[in-house]
Amino acid sequence: MRQTYGKQLPAMTLSGLAGKLIVIEGTDGAGRTTQINQLKPWLEELGHAVLDTGMTRSRLAGEGIHRAKEGNNLGHVTQSLFYATDFIDRLENEIIPALRAGFIVLTDRYIYSLMARATVRGMDPSWLRSIYSVALRPDAIFYLRIGLDELLPRVVFSRGFNYWESGMDLFPGHDMYGSFCIYQTALLAEFDRLSEEFHFETIDASADAETVCEHLKARILETLKPPAPEAVALPTYVDFMETLEQRLAGILTTGRKFAEDRPPQAMQVSSHAPTAHATRENGPL
Amino acid sequence: MEITSNFHIGPFEILFPLKPFVPSSEHDGENIFPGRLFVVEGIDGSGKSTQLSLLHKWLESKGYGVVFSEWNSSPLVKDTTKLGKKKKLLTPATFSLIHATDFADRTERSILPLLKAGAVVLCDRYVYTAFARDVARGMDREWVRDLYDFAAKPTVAFYFRVPLETAIGRLLGARDGFKYYEAGLDLGLTDDAEDSFRMFQGRILEEYEKMIPEFGLVVIDATLPVEVQQAQMRQIAGKHLESAKNLRIRP
Repeated sequence: MRQTYGKQLPAMTLSGLAGKLIVIEGTDGAGRTTQINQLKPWLEELGHAVLDTGMTRSRLAGEGIHRAKEGNNLGHVTQSLFYATDFIDRLENEIIPALRAGFIVLTDRYIYSLMARATVRGMDPSWLRSIYSVALRPDAIFYLRIGLDELLPRVVFSRGFNYWESGMDLFPGHDMYGSFCIYQTALLAEFDRLSEEFHFETIDASADAETVCEHLKARILETLKPPAPEAVALPTYVDFMETLEQRLAGILTTGRKFAEDRPPQAMQVSSHAPTAHATRENGPL
Repeated sequence: MEITSNFHIGPFEILFPLKPFVPSSEHDGENIFPGRLFVVEGIDGSGKSTQLSLLHKWLESKGYGVVFSEWNSSPLVKDTTKLGKKKKLLTPATFSLIHATDFADRTERSILPLLKAGAVVLCDRYVYTAFARDVARGMDREWVRDLYDFAAKPTVAFYFRVPLETAIGRLLGARDGFKYYEAGLDLGLTDDAEDSFRMFQGRILEEYEKMIPEFGLVVIDATLPVEVQQAQMRQIAGKHLESAKNLRIRP
């Protein structure tokens, strides 16, 4: 049965969540979205129903977070909790129902990104782990890892620096470039720590998108393989002999009792019966 | 916020706040901040808001710089809460988290800075409201307490204790009908709003009673005349103001 990281939300049933929960993690610019856009149609072609979800996409809090980030007065605790609200809303209203319906849930970031960002902003790691103890343990966590040197050209030559990705709320004294470098380095260090704690499967995201995608596909196929049938413990030779001895002893006892209950002359007439009878009772050898 | 540390990552020297706040147990308004934090708690109809506004008037007349903060009033978060309530999107967990977000915003933006600045901060409902309501909705007791770990510890938390029927009698006279979440209708205990309100508030009362020893809530008998309750409040609050050294006086 599926498990959480410790605590369970009220009315959350963990049984019957037949789908698969696959997490794609990584810092900004690691190519998560590109990969998910490839993986979703591929999985659908294979015949799987897929739900993709990601940060700030909840019906409840998505809009509110975007609005709050436009201003300049979103505190770090508030930001962390707003994101937690968004996550739990999606967990309860999207992820769990989809898993129950047998979907593959592909999630662009999960609690790990939320914890990394908040930790870098000074939040207490044990506080964050307590909040997210209600999250489901995924079936697989793929961490697209990319170093700062490879990341920089991607950001600079595609979308440019963004206030939040540069951690400008943390380092307002720096320019976007300086802030970006400090912030992303700190995030990477935190991700590496989380990777050990939560057993990420690290994929080198500095390779070209196609290579990364092939790698992901191969690993996802393994995750999707039906679990090995419930391992039936095959009896060992010793077990077998022991069972045999016990059965034989049982038969002998029954036979002796049968014999004792009857006069000796009757014994000769039905000498096979007790054995046959005992065998039926104990089942086939 | 004072706790910072220098460490190096690559070529950069980083100034990081390691923990945003000291743990709540050391967060006593008496010791760390010059300001004072008085909060009122109790079920709807206990008369706590009336009492707090009377205390507010008294403190102002004494010349203190007083700031009032109400539960669920953050300008950054309240639209989301409103949406959740209106469309009935909230589960016990998201109900809990969105209120914690609201409280965090008020804590970061006003309560803490004001306490540091030496103000008297008055809160109509505080973390104990969340502990009572969220647990009554089925949330894990410990999880909710952890969630609010960043809160400043009040100088005094007044709990206005009132029997359920007295509170309901006061409310029924004053307004028509109960709101969906307020009556705990989201829990599906019963379809009748008044019955549901009664059951839900009953659970909340039980939680409050348990919190009196846990958090040292100061109990005020809310069935006493308004004037008597107010006199008690002023006496208790007054004691904590006498010892205050750096309280701001209003210009």
